Amino acid sequence: MAADQSDVLRGTLDLLILKTLNLEPMHGWGISARIQQFSRGVLDVNQGSLYPALQRLEQRGWIDSEWRTTENNRRAKYYRLTSSGRRAVGSETDNWRRYVGAVELILKSS
Amino acid sequence: MSFFHALRARLRATRQSAADRSLADEIRFHIELETEKNIKLGMSPDEARRRALAHFGGVQRVREEHRDVRPLRWLEDAASDSRFALRALRRTPGLGLAAVVTLALGIGANVAIFSAVNAVVLQPLPFPDPDRLMMITEENPEKHWHLQDAAPANVLDWRAGVPAFQDVTAYSAFLATSTLTGRGDPQPMQVVYAMGNFFSVMGAHAELGRTFTDDETWRPAAVAVLSDRSWRTRFGGDSSIIGKSLTLDGRDYQVVGVMPPTFAFPYDNADMWRSIAWDPQSRGADPFRRAHWVRAVARLKPGVSVESADAQLQSVVARLKRDYPATNKYMGALILPLQTFLVGDTRLPLLLLLTSVAFLLLIACANVGNLLLVQAAGREREAALRLALGAGRGRLVRQALAESLMLSLVGGVVGLLLGWAGTRALVRLQPDGMLRVHEFGIDGAVLGYVLAITVVSGLIFGVAPALWMRRRNPADSLKDGGRGAGQGVRAKRWGEALVVGEVALALLMTAAAGLIVRSFWQIRNVDPGFDSNGVLTAQISLNRSYDTVTKVQAFMSQLEIRARAIPGVTNAALATGIPFMGPAYTSDFIAYGRAANDYGTEIAHRTLTASYFKTMKGRLVSGRMFDETDRVGSAPVVLINEALARSYFRGQNPVGQRMALEKAPTDKSTWYTIIGIVANEHVDALDVAPRIEVFNAASQEPPYSTFVLLRTDGNPANLTASLRGVVHDLDPSLALVDAKPMDDLRVASLARIRFLTTMLLAFALVGLVLAVVGVYGVLSHITRSRTREMGIRVALGAQMSEVRWLVVRRGLGLAVAGLAVGLVVAVFSTRLMTKLLFNVAPNDPLTLIGVSLILVVTSLVAASLPARRAARVDPAIALRAD
Repeated sequence: MAADQSDVLRGTLDLLILKTLNLEPMHGWGISARIQQFSRGVLDVNQGSLYPALQRLEQRGWIDSEWRTTENNRRAKYYRLTSSGRRAVGSETDNWRRYVGAVELILKSS
Repeated sequence: MSFFHALRARLRATRQSAADRSLADEIRFHIELETEKNIKLGMSPDEARRRALAHFGGVQRVREEHRDVRPLRWLEDAASDSRFALRALRRTPGLGLAAVVTLALGIGANVAIFSAVNAVVLQPLPFPDPDRLMMITEENPEKHWHLQDAAPANVLDWRAGVPAFQDVTAYSAFLATSTLTGRGDPQPMQVVYAMGNFFSVMGAHAELGRTFTDDETWRPAAVAVLSDRSWRTRFGGDSSIIGKSLTLDGRDYQVVGVMPPTFAFPYDNADMWRSIAWDPQSRGADPFRRAHWVRAVARLKPGVSVESADAQLQSVVARLKRDYPATNKYMGALILPLQTFLVGDTRLPLLLLLTSVAFLLLIACANVGNLLLVQAAGREREAALRLALGAGRGRLVRQALAESLMLSLVGGVVGLLLGWAGTRALVRLQPDGMLRVHEFGIDGAVLGYVLAITVVSGLIFGVAPALWMRRRNPADSLKDGGRGAGQGVRAKRWGEALVVGEVALALLMTAAAGLIVRSFWQIRNVDPGFDSNGVLTAQISLNRSYDTVTKVQAFMSQLEIRARAIPGVTNAALATGIPFMGPAYTSDFIAYGRAANDYGTEIAHRTLTASYFKTMKGRLVSGRMFDETDRVGSAPVVLINEALARSYFRGQNPVGQRMALEKAPTDKSTWYTIIGIVANEHVDALDVAPRIEVFNAASQEPPYSTFVLLRTDGNPANLTASLRGVVHDLDPSLALVDAKPMDDLRVASLARIRFLTTMLLAFALVGLVLAVVGVYGVLSHITRSRTREMGIRVALGAQMSEVRWLVVRRGLGLAVAGLAVGLVVAVFSTRLMTKLLFNVAPNDPLTLIGVSLILVVTSLVAASLPARRAARVDPAIALRAD
C-alpha cells in the first residue's frame, strides 16, 4: 500500500472509529461490524487495519481502553471516547467535510 | 554475563510480548466473533473460519503495523540494532579488538589532558564569587614592567580611591623562609605575609579559631594562621595551638587560627600566613611606595563591571603619578581577572597538548573507519541480499551506525579507564605547580567531554562505511563474484583519503614535537656562565641578635672560612642571589659624569664574597676581584657584568669609573668604583637573557640573609650535614634551610619544558604508529583485493620487484600526499607555538625535513610487508581464486 494513499485512508478510518465510539463503548469487532452496518455495506473496512488505528488513537489520548468480560463470559478489550476524543470528533468531522468539498470542486471543474 | 542476559530477556519479554499477547487476544476474539457471524449466515465451521481470516486481512502485517505504531518503537529498534551489532562484532573479534584498542588510546589521551585543562583553565577558582576577584598589577613602560608586583603604598591608595572595589588586599609576592625556634631544633617555615583583610577578601574562613581582622595589617599586631598541613605535621594536629605563641626569626607571633585543607592560596606549600606587620609610622616613607613586593587582589562590588572599576583605578593612578613623581611617574596599574593571572603561561602548553591529543583521536578514528570500511566491503553481498529482501536502506545505515556507536562506546569506556590512570600519572609527573592543582580527576565536565567525543568519534568513523553502503546498488553486489570494476573502488578511495588525512595529522604532531625537542635541546646547550655541577646551595638568615654590622660581618666571614674548611670542599662562597633562585632586587643607576637623563633602569643587585666566581667557575673578564682591601668603611667598590659593560658603557672602559645605584643621586648617595667586569651568568633561567648586574662586596656590605655555596668534587648532597654542623657550632639558634645541590635547581628550571617535550613526543609517537598502521592496513587491503591482478601480472612475466614496486609506489604516493597536506598546514600553523620555542624558528627547515623523512621512511617500511606478500603471490592460486 503506497504511503500517501494510506495516510488519507488512515485519517478516514480514525474518523469512522471515533464516530462509532461516540454512540457507545465497543470492542474492535463490534466497531468494524457497526461501520459496515451503518454504511449499508459500502465500507467494508479491512478489518485488520482497525487495530493499528485503535492503537494510534489511544496513543493520541482520544480513546481509552479496558479489558472487560462479555455476556458470554469472554474477555474483550473495550474502547471508549475520552473527553478530548469527544472534542476531536467535531473538529475531525469538519476537516473531513472540508476535504470532501475540495475534492468535489476539483472533480466538477475538470 | 548469563544472568544479565536472562534478566534482560525477561524484561524485554514482559514489555514487548505483553503488548503482543494483548493484541493476539484481541485478534483472536475478533476472529471468533466473525466466525460465529459466518456460521449464523449458514457457512460450515471451517468455511466460516476461513472466511473470517480472509476478511481480517494479513494477521502478520497487522501485527507489524501495530508494532510500528507502538510507543517506544525507536527504543525497541535501537535495542535490536545493538544486539545485531554485538553479534556482528562477535563474529569478527579481531576487528573489534583492534578498533577498541585504537579508540581507547585516542579517547584515553583526551580524557587525561582534558581533565588537566578543565582543572586549570575551565573550573572556577575555589572561592565564593570567584569572578569578582581581580588581580591588580603594576605596569611600568620605562622599566619594561608588565604584570609586576605592587608597592604597598599604591595598594592602599587603590583601596581608598576606587569605590567599585568592595575591598583590596595584599600579600607577599614570595614565600619567605623564616626560622621557627623554641620548639626543639630550629626549623624552617614557609611564610606568606598578608594584610588583615586577606581572608575576608578571598572569602575564606578558618577551620579552627579565626582569621585576621582588618586592623591586624599594622604593627604591633603579630598574628599567624597555620595551614592545615603544617598544623597536622608540625604541631600534631593539636587544637590547643590556638592562642599559643610561635617564635619566628626571633619575633613572637600568636597563632589565632588554622585553615581548612582546601585553602592553599596563594602558594600550595605555605606553612602559615603571617600578619604583614606594616609600620604605621613609615606609611608615608619613600620605601613604602618604592619597594614592589606585594600582590594585590581586589574584590569587585556585586553588579559592578570591570570597566567601571578600571576607569576609577586609572584616575587614582593618574593622581598618584602627579602626587609622587619620584616613584610613580611611569607607574601604571593593570586590572585582570585573578584566574587569568594564575593560569598565565600554562595556557599555551595546555592548548598545544589538547590539540595534539585531538589529532591523535582523529587519527585513531581514521584507522577505525578504515577497518570498518574494509569490513563493509567484505559484507557487501550480505547487505545486497538484505536490500533485495526488502530491508529499508535507512535501516541498514542505522545498523551500521549502531555498530560504530557500539564500538566507540566500548572504546570510550576503556578509554575513560585509561584516561583516569593518565590523570593519576599527570598529577604525579607534573612539574611543581605547573598545573596549579594537586588533585584533579574525572568530574562532570570531563565525563560530558568523554561522552561527546565518544559519540562524535563513533559518528565520524561510522559515517564513512554508512555513506558508502547507501550508494551501493545491490544488483552490482549480487552479480557474479561481485568483482566488477566498480567493486570497492569507492571504498578504496575513501580508505586512501582517510590515510592521507592520517599522515597529514601525524606530520603535524611530530613537527610540533620536533620543534619543542629542538627548543629543549637549545636551552640545554646554553652556556649558563657557571658550572652548577658539584655545588651545594643552602640559605641562612640571621636573627635580631645580630644588630650591628660588625656582628653580621663577623658571623658571615667565620661561616665562609669554616665552610671552606669542611673536608671535601674545594671552595666556598656567600651570595645574596644565585641562579635559578628567584628574582633579584633591582634599581636604577647612573654613572658619574653622565647627563642627568642618561640613567639606566632595572639593574640587578647581588652582594657576594670574593670567592663566588671561582666557586661557580665564572670568569673575571677584566679588572680585579674583591680582596682584603675592600672592607667595611673602605672605598665602596662594585663589580659589573659584561651585559652592563656592553650596553651602558659601550665603547668606554668601565673599570675605574664610578656609579650610583639610583637615577638621581644626591650628595648623600654612595658612589661605587667599578673595579672589574665579570662574565654573564644566566641567573633567571637558561632561556632568559642575562640581566645587567652589579655586585657589591660582602666584606663591605655584609648581608643579613644569604645563600651559602660549597663546591666539591664528589656528591654535594653529602656535605649538607657538615654544613649544618658548622652553622650549629657558630650559633645554635640559626637554621640552615633549603640545602640542595644546585644541579637540582637547574634541572627543576627545565622541568616545565621537559614535561611538555615528553608529553608531546609520546603523543606524536603514538600518532605516528597509528598513522603508519593505517598506511599498512590500506595497502594490505588493496593488495589483497588485487590478488588476481597481481597473479595475472606475474603470470605475464612481471618480476617480483616490479610487483613489489607497485605496492610500495602506492604507499609512497599516500605518504607523500599526506606529507604535502601536512606540511602546508604546518607552515601556517606552527607560528602559533612561537612563544614556546627558544632559538628555533617555527618553520625550522631542519625539523620539518627531518620529520618528513621519518614519515616517508616509516611509510616505506609499512608498505614493504604487503609489497612482499603481493610479490609472493602464486599466480596459479591467484587466478583460480574467486
